[in-house]
Amino acid sequence: MRPDRGRVVVNGRTLLDTAAGVDLPPQARRLGYVFQGYALFPHLSVADNLAFGLRGRPRTERQARVREVIARLGLGGLADRYPRELSGGQQQRVALGRALAPDPELVLLDEPLSALDAPLRRQLRDDLGAILSDWGKTAVLVTHDLAEAYQLASTVVVYDNGRAIQSAPRTELLWQPASEAVARVMGIRNILRGSVVKATADGIQFRWRGQLLEGANSPTRSYLPEPGSALAFYIRPEYVRLIRKDRGGPDAQHHTNLMSATVVREADAGTVWTLYLRLDEPGPPAQGDYDLEVEVPKLVYEILEIPRDRSWQISIHRGSIQVLPSA
Amino acid sequence: MSAEALTALWLSVRVAVVATAANAVIGIPLAYLLARRRFAGRGLLDLLVTLPLVLPPTVTGYYLIVLLGRRGWLGAPLYALTGWSVAFTWWAAVVAATVMAMPLIVRTARAAIESVNPAYEKAAFTLGRSEWRTALEVTLPLARKGLLAGLVLAFARALGEFGATLMLAGNIPGRTQTVPLAIYTAAQTGETGEALWLVVMLTALSGAVLVAANRLGGRAP
Repeated sequence: MRPDRGRVVVNGRTLLDTAAGVDLPPQARRLGYVFQGYALFPHLSVADNLAFGLRGRPRTERQARVREVIARLGLGGLADRYPRELSGGQQQRVALGRALAPDPELVLLDEPLSALDAPLRRQLRDDLGAILSDWGKTAVLVTHDLAEAYQLASTVVVYDNGRAIQSAPRTELLWQPASEAVARVMGIRNILRGSVVKATADGIQFRWRGQLLEGANSPTRSYLPEPGSALAFYIRPEYVRLIRKDRGGPDAQHHTNLMSATVVREADAGTVWTLYLRLDEPGPPAQGDYDLEVEVPKLVYEILEIPRDRSWQISIHRGSIQVLPSA
Repeated sequence: MSAEALTALWLSVRVAVVATAANAVIGIPLAYLLARRRFAGRGLLDLLVTLPLVLPPTVTGYYLIVLLGRRGWLGAPLYALTGWSVAFTWWAAVVAATVMAMPLIVRTARAAIESVNPAYEKAAFTLGRSEWRTALEVTLPLARKGLLAGLVLAFARALGEFGATLMLAGNIPGRTQTVPLAIYTAAQTGETGEALWLVVMLTALSGAVLVAANRLGGRAP
């Protein structure tokens, strides 16, 4: 596939510049590439796969480099095996080793874990992270799995329909998505819309479903929308607090953004339960038949006797309401 | 069993071996081009290579005469230059067998090459290999089962070629009379014993080739 337009520069070397008519062929790019499914050469042994990118170097150097890669990746004793005789983890290491052996300027990983089932995927993800940090080589990883991106990367770029919509250090991305679009791509739940009452550098007051709520403003880019303007925000389902009735009523000191709600549906996700709450307010709920999705650990679900009691007071800490700047 | 029958058998084997070698050298690169490249005239090339499969062999043979005969498009200049014509020589039998067997190797090899996952080739590119080196080191080795099967089919086809050979090479005992032609001649002249013997020999030879191919193909990973 040929890019329509743009520039790719790696360490000062231009690989692609559509305006200047530069488009280096893959052979000249000096980039390591780990393919989805690895694409190890099935007719070559592990050693021959690792040596494939070393053609043109002296024989002794080739052999030394292959030995070094084998040792560093823990592939000892597997040099004469064929790819089909390796476990998934070993195949991944050979694929990484084959890409790293010629000492490329950068390694690209194209959804390296997407074809695996969950337990293996988790194990290989940890493996991959350890190898990449040990090798200290800059890597660009493409994934659809946010958890994978968060675990393996220091900086995350979010793409939507071919456009980069946010590029940020991973914690900033996770806790301060730059826009509603980013939050949606990241699969964040309870993305809601209200209208601004008052915005300061410290916090934003807004109206939603007849309630006056307050959320903290973003510490790194405080956002000051005009009163009356529309505002998107989200509340993570695990950050909604159900108030226990056996400990007296709600306490204004501890319980901010207080609301009453009824459980309309629930779903058992194993160790956690998802509750679908509808505010006790007139008007249509914000998300179909409910207003908020709330997650409680199974233990809490049992202690609170939620199956018996469907009416709850809930509160949300102001720091748990994340305001999303409009794009 | 006559000496002529033995000569015909030996000639058939030599013709088939040379035709198969020619098909390996011409047919496999053609199959690669058809499988992996998009170029002007690709459809026409595909058609030309495949036509001998569906045309009557005599029609293909006629085209070969038009092309290579002493007064042919290529044959006339060649004759003017060297005083030699391929028609009615041993080489004519090779050319006829090669052209008739080519659709088999090209189609089989092409399917085998197309079934190689292009990710292997892309991987080879990122590791610095040119397309040519990638074809030699990755694509063709991975397609080797299909290439071998195609070559065996081509060999068996070359061994049994009759119509186009008769048109271009004639039926000259000891020079261009291959086994199928010898069988035809023997049957026509009432030498049924000779015909039967040749039929059995050709069947056994062709069968042995197919069995050997299955063994070889089965062992390759």
